[in-house]
Amino acid sequence: MAHQWGMVIDLDRCTGCEACVVACHAENNIATVGEKEAARSRANHWIRVERYYEGDFPDVKVKFMPVLCQQCDAAPCEPVCPTFASYHTEEGLNGQVYNRCIGTRYCANACPYNVRFFNFYNPKWDKPLNLQLNPDVSVREVGVMEKCTFCVQRIKAAETNARAEKRDVRDGEIQPACVQSCPTNAMVFGDLSDPNSRASRMAASSRGGKLLEELGARPKITYLQRDTWNGDENA
Amino acid sequence: MQRRDFLKITAISGAAATLDACGSPDHQLIRFIPEEDLIPGIATWKPSVCTMCAAGCGLLVRVMEGDAEVVRNGQLGLMQMGLAKKLEGNPAHPINQGKLCPRGHAGLQVTYHPDRIRTPLMRSGARGSGEFKAISWDEAMQHLMAQLSSLHEGRLPGRLVFLTSPLRAQRRNIATTFAGGFKDSQYIEFSFFDEGVVRAANSASFRHDAPPTVELGQSNYIISFGANFLGTWNSPVAQSLGYGAMRQGRAGLRGKFLQFEPRISQTGANADEWVPCAPGSEGALALGIAHVLMQDKLRSAASAGAAGELIEGWAQGLAEYAPEKISAQTGVKAATITRIAHEAAANGPAVALIGDAAAAHTNGLFNTLAVNALNALLGSAGKAGGIQFSPVWNPSNDKTAGAQEASGAEAVRKLAEQIESNANSVGALLIHGANPAFATPAAWKLRRALEKAPLIASFGSFIDETSIFADLILPDHSPLESWVEDAPDSGSLRTVVSVAPPAVLPLHDTRAMPDVLLDLAHRLGGNFAKALPWKTYDEAIQADFAALYKSKGSKDAKTTDDFWSNAQQQGGWWGPQEDAAQGATGAKAASGSVKYAAAEFDGNQSEFPFHLMPFASQMLYDGSLAALPWMQEAPDPMSTAMWGTWVELNPATASKLGIKQADLVEVASRHGSVQAPAMITPGIAPDVVAMPIGQGHENFTRYASNRGANPISILAPMTVAGTDSLAWAATRVKIARVGEGKLVLFGASLREEPPDAKRR
Repeated sequence: MAHQWGMVIDLDRCTGCEACVVACHAENNIATVGEKEAARSRANHWIRVERYYEGDFPDVKVKFMPVLCQQCDAAPCEPVCPTFASYHTEEGLNGQVYNRCIGTRYCANACPYNVRFFNFYNPKWDKPLNLQLNPDVSVREVGVMEKCTFCVQRIKAAETNARAEKRDVRDGEIQPACVQSCPTNAMVFGDLSDPNSRASRMAASSRGGKLLEELGARPKITYLQRDTWNGDENA
Repeated sequence: MQRRDFLKITAISGAAATLDACGSPDHQLIRFIPEEDLIPGIATWKPSVCTMCAAGCGLLVRVMEGDAEVVRNGQLGLMQMGLAKKLEGNPAHPINQGKLCPRGHAGLQVTYHPDRIRTPLMRSGARGSGEFKAISWDEAMQHLMAQLSSLHEGRLPGRLVFLTSPLRAQRRNIATTFAGGFKDSQYIEFSFFDEGVVRAANSASFRHDAPPTVELGQSNYIISFGANFLGTWNSPVAQSLGYGAMRQGRAGLRGKFLQFEPRISQTGANADEWVPCAPGSEGALALGIAHVLMQDKLRSAASAGAAGELIEGWAQGLAEYAPEKISAQTGVKAATITRIAHEAAANGPAVALIGDAAAAHTNGLFNTLAVNALNALLGSAGKAGGIQFSPVWNPSNDKTAGAQEASGAEAVRKLAEQIESNANSVGALLIHGANPAFATPAAWKLRRALEKAPLIASFGSFIDETSIFADLILPDHSPLESWVEDAPDSGSLRTVVSVAPPAVLPLHDTRAMPDVLLDLAHRLGGNFAKALPWKTYDEAIQADFAALYKSKGSKDAKTTDDFWSNAQQQGGWWGPQEDAAQGATGAKAASGSVKYAAAEFDGNQSEFPFHLMPFASQMLYDGSLAALPWMQEAPDPMSTAMWGTWVELNPATASKLGIKQADLVEVASRHGSVQAPAMITPGIAPDVVAMPIGQGHENFTRYASNRGANPISILAPMTVAGTDSLAWAATRVKIARVGEGKLVLFGASLREEPPDAKRR
């Protein structure tokens, strides 16, 4: 059976530092758009950290939640695409074929997680910032939707290596850029079709849950809810 | 002539002939002969060291072959060269263990920044006008040499001052030794977040002149007094690793984390309990907890040892800090203080951290000494999960006449004063890595002093508010292009000496600062050449590693050469796991000598009713990273703001003053005013306003110039008593709405609310 790539994010570890956000920029050639376009909500961040306040001063609690493409199994973004640019890969990823995309933006409207980004302009890197571009990831042009790929270039590279060595991909061998840089080890990536993978085992946690699960998109990212301190609070 | 040189010349002349024939050179760049052997499409990983903050994390640089436009000998052309594509944490490095913070990732953009200084520059207009002309290294060195040798031989009046960001290992040794060769010279280290207060307090309490190293993964109870230890304070990646393990790394055991601070930081946002307290009351709070521990016989006064004895009234149980007595001044309920003391006592190892604003009040030293005493009383100081100290490697230093060393903001203030009173008292000012014209209060008038100084030379990679005053700019390599060596004094309990050769070739006509100093030392000859015998920086680092091998030995290396090459391969040398912290070094303070000190504030309460809390920006840090577009466009974790500054206000305060979200607000102290849009948030006390540090640059690349506001500029010139650090949390301000403003927020969010969270 093909791999089914998924992720577990432990919200009890996540500190909202956004190392994942910048790691993703670097890995995936995400262009900055500048202040003016950012003010028009055109900044691109394939992964973002949402912040929720609860309560009023002084009893304030805050929660952070990294949100990226949930790589849904029943993805609302896929059936709406008239050109099959959004499609489901054999390994369970929500693929995006840039050369097929004609920019209808139906997929972005259909996505309940708001993780698809449209290129309103050709991306621009002031020279010589272009030298930092990752040659393994294509640069998206004007009129094209883009989104998190689970760092498919890293998945493909690991699978190719494993095939050359006549073995299967080892659990933990593939790390998307966000997972790799996370300073608290809040994110775990792995094969959900393997019940023994670390991601599968963690996804079974009693703290586990899916984002907006009631919508039925069957996302492949499991969030482990924040824990509470269970020490003797009346000591 | 070597074969390679011959080929280069023929390539250049051949291509130049073609160019003449073909018109536009933009499309017909000549190709230089590559200097490296790289396989197209294959990535290699080279170690390096992150220099974005003082933590000193280890890097792996992904290097791939690519075509870069470069200028060589005045000729623009294309060169196939190794290019840095991505920075990762070095998994072998004991501090960050393969992890990296957002600022670390953006270090890549320093190397490829479009506004980097590409050649040596000489001032061609008036001081501070920003007009420079490109010159050759020969000219630059001659010019600097003329001035320095006149100064050295007494033909010019004044002293040499070397003003730098804090340096470590051989880079520091070369800089201090070089400065020390000049008579009556001064070596000043300056950065806005210098941990000077924490160092001074740890010297007195624990006799360690360093920030603490805490294995948070072993802690069960963390009390943080304002320290943004998951964001920017001390060694944030090492601390984040420990924090993750503290939360979910031990089956069935999850530690508690509690944060005292008047404005919720990104770190405070992760606390199980966030407790706002009055600004400057942190020391009293710590002693209140200590009082309960002693009063309720949970710990004995004597168990705290020297760190406790320092505090006046310690042996008598600190009766004046009883929770009900300090409740009013701290703003924390007596019952809460008592409960926290009992929780901490029952859930060891417990640790208390202090940093950022809590240590930047005028009584910051008292606050920090009080927290140190609390740590000692909790019984985990020196133990796993408590306050510990890293063993530190310092290169041997045999300089004969040392420069007078100073550090902290106070040293910069005195420098400005000195130039102001007699411009010729500073014959040459060398500046490296620091931007004090941005990062000191305008009240110090440093800029006016810089206009008067006879000679200013900068090693900066960018024109900034300080280097714009330079007469000469001798641009340093970027860290990825340079040899790097680092010996951090916190973050790991193993001795860490990082080293790495250049990961990529220099893109521009730059030289490593230590190489320039060594070159100058050889030209000056005499004692300089004797004290700095190395021809190049890497030779100096190699000598340091030879000394390290001799002193520490190694199981994996049979010879010094093996040791040196192993270190280069893995990105450094780390001591054994069981390395205990080095012996105590600080001076022993007298017992009972630390008396209660209340925080003092500049500006009276009736006219200036609000405390101004500047804070370190998660992305821009102290402003030095504002030039990097990734950092400008990464949303701030607490506000999602990008590309600007804002003023955080409590909703009650805002409604009382008629201020709405994004309204333009003027924040005025006795020393000046700044304007920024309002950000209304529940996580701030009603009598406090907070502003991120980092923006408000006037001259700092196309991405940072004329953007946002710099709260440092309106700070009161107050110091933390007993130290040379700026009391940057001691300013009172008034605020008023002045018009419509604009916030740039990253608005994207879920299309529906998750059922268990309310979003604002």
